[in-house]
Amino acid sequence: MDLDSFLRDPQSRRRFFRTSGVAVAGSSAIFLSACGDEASTPGPAGPDESDEADVEILNSALDLELMAVAAYKAGAAQLRGEVLQVGKLFLEQEQEHADGLASAITDAGGKPNRAKASYDFPALRSQTDVLRFAVDLENTAIAAYIDALPKLGKGDLRATAAAIVANEAEHVSVLLDALGEDPVPFAFVVGRAA
Amino acid sequence: MASDRIVIADGDADTAQVAEFERGRRELLRRGLGFGGAAIAASSIPLLLSVRNAFAASSGDAGILEQAIGLERIAILAYETAIDSGLLTAAFTRVARRFRDHEQEHADALTTALMDLGGTPPAKKPTLKDIDGVVKGLGSVKSQADIANFAIELEMAAVAAYYDAHRKLVDAKLLQAGASIMANEAQHLVVLRQAVKRAPVPNAFETGKT
Repeated sequence: MDLDSFLRDPQSRRRFFRTSGVAVAGSSAIFLSACGDEASTPGPAGPDESDEADVEILNSALDLELMAVAAYKAGAAQLRGEVLQVGKLFLEQEQEHADGLASAITDAGGKPNRAKASYDFPALRSQTDVLRFAVDLENTAIAAYIDALPKLGKGDLRATAAAIVANEAEHVSVLLDALGEDPVPFAFVVGRAA
Repeated sequence: MASDRIVIADGDADTAQVAEFERGRRELLRRGLGFGGAAIAASSIPLLLSVRNAFAASSGDAGILEQAIGLERIAILAYETAIDSGLLTAAFTRVARRFRDHEQEHADALTTALMDLGGTPPAKKPTLKDIDGVVKGLGSVKSQADIANFAIELEMAAVAAYYDAHRKLVDAKLLQAGASIMANEAQHLVVLRQAVKRAPVPNAFETGKT
């Protein structure tokens, strides 16, 4: 994956989470059938299309979380003292997201994706480089989750995705603060740069 | 690269904010709370539950929007009450004004969305009693820290309400708007928690619960 262009191109970010057969227009049927019954979607026995679509979206989210884990590991070498502690905490939280997504994928009958052998990260030569890259990654994740959220068929998964978005937004605030910038620049958090 | 290769170095903090954050974290660790353990007052939990139930029990997107508008208006009034309390420093007053303005932006957007659905925004303006109905204690605050702790509980209640709404909302744009508002309330929580030296990001999943 060419991460640099991925981060800068909203179209590719949107494509990242767009799964075949789960376009925005088609998703309303899933919402309607899921509405009022968060545990299951009514329908004939057999493979659940909602589950299959959810698995594909969840695996895309898992890819992004695994990349974030790798990024915080790669960036740790440039971090010192209190900022290193922040980086370690955020790494652990991204891992918790990845673990939660993997469980959800397994529960839905899917197979969780695994981390790539290597990632094409930009050169991280200073603490500031790492903090700025982390802000970009977190914003990318927020944008991707917000794009994907309505496409998830199950209410519990939508709620969990929103809880992850809120946590990534908290990360952004701490990272911006560490950079000496406004920690809460916008009333609506959609993953754009400040 | 494995996480066990990360070396903890005791360097100087790069910014005053980070140093302040770390002091707060260490203080929490000394008090046995630590990351993941910072808890809101136990007395507030029934209140949070009541808010979540009220919010989640409303049926249909319009009903959820009305509940959300009511909650945002209560937050606006709470921040205005805090600003007028005379207890805040100039810096904290600026923060409270920013957050009040954000809540106003949320209320305005939700009102527009409700009207787009053919609904009518609630006519009733909230009172101090309505604030008490969500989180008690604003009337008896005696310090800036009291206000920050109160605001944390109020923002937590809002995050919890939006979290639960994601199970019920149907419209895709409303789901997305709800997530972006919920995430903003979570960012408010970071600033407020730092102000009273609590761990700023205690949970990997910010649900508004502890």
